[in-house]
Amino acid sequence: MTINECYACMGADYGDVLRRMGKAERVAKFLAMFPDEPSYGLLCSALAQGNAQEAFRAAHSLKGVCMNLGLSSLGDAASKMTEALRGGLLPADVGALLDEVDGRYRETVSCIRAFMQG
Amino acid sequence: MKKGTVLIVDDTEMNRSMLADMLSEEYDILEASTGAEAAKVLQKRNDDISLVLLDIVMPEMDGFEVLELMERNGWLNRIPVITISSETASAYIDHAYDLGASDYINRPFDEKTVQRRVRNTIMLYSKQKALEGMVAEQMVEKERNNFLMVEILSNIVEFRNGESGLHVLHIRTLTEIFLRKLQEITDKYPLPAARMALIINASALHDVGKISIPEEILNKPGRLTDEEFAVMKTHSMQGASIMQDALQRHEEELIQIAYNICRWHHERWDGRGYPDGLRGDDIPIEAQVVALADVYDALTSERVYKPAYPHEEALRMILRGECGAFNPLLMQCLQEAGPHLEEELRLRSLSDVSEANIRALSSQVIAGGKVSSRTLTLLEQERIKYQFFASMSNEIQFEYNYQSDMLTISEWGGVRLGLSTLIEHPEGNGELHRVFSLEDFLDLKHRLNCATPEKPIAGGMYCLNVKGEKRWYKAVARPIWQADAPDEVTGIIGKFVDDHEEQLRLEQLRRMAEQDSLTGLSNHASARSWIRRALTAEGKQYAMLLLDLDNFKAANDAYGHMFGDQVLQHVAHMVKNSVRGGDIAARIGGDEFLLFIEYKGDIKALARRIFDALHGNYKSFPIRVSMGIALAPQDGNAYETLFHAADRALYAAKKRGRDRYCFYDSSMQDLLSVLSSMDN
Repeated sequence: MTINECYACMGADYGDVLRRMGKAERVAKFLAMFPDEPSYGLLCSALAQGNAQEAFRAAHSLKGVCMNLGLSSLGDAASKMTEALRGGLLPADVGALLDEVDGRYRETVSCIRAFMQG
Repeated sequence: MKKGTVLIVDDTEMNRSMLADMLSEEYDILEASTGAEAAKVLQKRNDDISLVLLDIVMPEMDGFEVLELMERNGWLNRIPVITISSETASAYIDHAYDLGASDYINRPFDEKTVQRRVRNTIMLYSKQKALEGMVAEQMVEKERNNFLMVEILSNIVEFRNGESGLHVLHIRTLTEIFLRKLQEITDKYPLPAARMALIINASALHDVGKISIPEEILNKPGRLTDEEFAVMKTHSMQGASIMQDALQRHEEELIQIAYNICRWHHERWDGRGYPDGLRGDDIPIEAQVVALADVYDALTSERVYKPAYPHEEALRMILRGECGAFNPLLMQCLQEAGPHLEEELRLRSLSDVSEANIRALSSQVIAGGKVSSRTLTLLEQERIKYQFFASMSNEIQFEYNYQSDMLTISEWGGVRLGLSTLIEHPEGNGELHRVFSLEDFLDLKHRLNCATPEKPIAGGMYCLNVKGEKRWYKAVARPIWQADAPDEVTGIIGKFVDDHEEQLRLEQLRRMAEQDSLTGLSNHASARSWIRRALTAEGKQYAMLLLDLDNFKAANDAYGHMFGDQVLQHVAHMVKNSVRGGDIAARIGGDEFLLFIEYKGDIKALARRIFDALHGNYKSFPIRVSMGIALAPQDGNAYETLFHAADRALYAAKKRGRDRYCFYDSSMQDLLSVLSSMDN
């Protein structure tokens, strides 16, 4: 899978990312780092512990990273989660929100892995 | 060459590395993953950080708190901060700006924006800083000129008045004390610090109008007649008109204040003063304060027409209204300051005298006038003496103040080193470190940090770069501790003394001690230590060659010792020419020489070449040598072993008929020694 196809598979705009990041190698390099980026894991464990503040920061970080890498589908879900957590309390629909983040995270990472395998 | 250092503060590693990746070509990058870590880096490196990229949402200490911390420590003055966040709410952005951030970058950021913003912000900041520096410098210069002018003028007046040189200092000090007290006890006369400084400065000019009062009246011993007093009283208007003239040329606050003081420092609160009979707060506060200072000092000083009253007496007279009425608030100031007034007057006057080199200009005035204070004269003499000797001994004097982080270099020293006399933040000052390297600077700093009140003096030898020339200086300095808190250092004083010639002389002596005086070759002792050092290197091959002249005794006998010496010098010359720079050539006895050579490849050819080179004639005298050669590592690795082997080989060469060279081999082990008696 090429990087172009990878972005298409994630429903994202490669051209836009490339323009912002300046170099194709840079996009590829940071994209490859994404599956190991800890924000998603932190979000899950913070929610599991019921720690809303930490969950907010993790969601916020995840959203930031997604925005920079142009991972818009996951980024939107993370953004919704961030806003829901901003008040410092766990919202009622946190389960549904997490399901959405989780589903898109899996899609995104599987596209990236496919790209990394060539 | 990188253009600066950027500190990236973000708790998400990926964001940090993305930014670092975009900036690392142009800048050195420092990273911090938490606010606390950022604080630590800033604490340690704030001198070389050119910009901070700051994430806002972070655990524990967020970006806002980092900004506040930077503000508290004064770092924000010097280091611009660009905040980065995906928060787009304007309240967020505004808050960052309010706290002193210079710019804001939104996520998702792009390479060009990041690079351009960072570059522009750094450039803008350094330009602004340079401008601020220039303005500050001009201000300082201007203030200095003003101060100088005021001092000279007021000293001239005093000289004519026959007053002591202390009067102006007293007026300044008293004015300052009263002004500060006044600020303490009331907010009726709010004065910003700058205005207060100008009033203190201008107070010295209060009597400038006395320039136009005739000598006989000015210095009349005894009471003035009514007519004479009328003339005397004109000095306030005269002073005012001098200032008025000056004001037409320079619209300056200092002169405006001086005008008020000159004209109205004899007005009284009840309207019974002169020249205008102003009343109450119609009299500008600066004139009211100087009036009180003037009266107090006049009472407590000796004048041609009266003795000096003691402090208590003067205080009583003023409070009883014997010198006219004053603002009740000022009376309160006088009473509250009273207990310390005498002491402070004495201390401040002394410190002013020792501090201001401006006094030099007025020293003649003081010397010519009737000096009532013996201390002042003595101090002045000490100062002149010190300056004189300092200029004779090539001393560069300096002072450092911790609070202002400012280094002051004596005028002569500044000129000598090509540095400005005022250096802000010396530790980060490139101009300074071109002369006094940062490494040496830190070394001296360390030594000073180790100084104690019991052992206060620290120093060392440093090589300064004086206008392109390296020169050795001896630095001596000491910290100044606060008198009441001996663990609190307030400053450093010290000097750099040019010690270059002395160092060169020592260097030369050292070299001479290592040389044979006749031939200029190394002597045996220094050759030995060189060789020992060389032999510690691994994996190298060396040859030690010992040689002596076969027929030297004949030269001495036939042509005398002078000729013998010439032969030795000739051989020394040939020996030196036959080896390379890194090799060692030494004269180790009367006509014995030692060569120590590193070699690669065939030593036989090299030995032959050296032997042939030495073989020849000096004038018509034939030079023949015998030479013994030992090799390291084959024949030994220690100096003694090698020397012993070469010595045996030399003996073998002699035994086999002289005029030849021999390599050492084990069969020579038991041969006699030629030289060993000398190798002690």
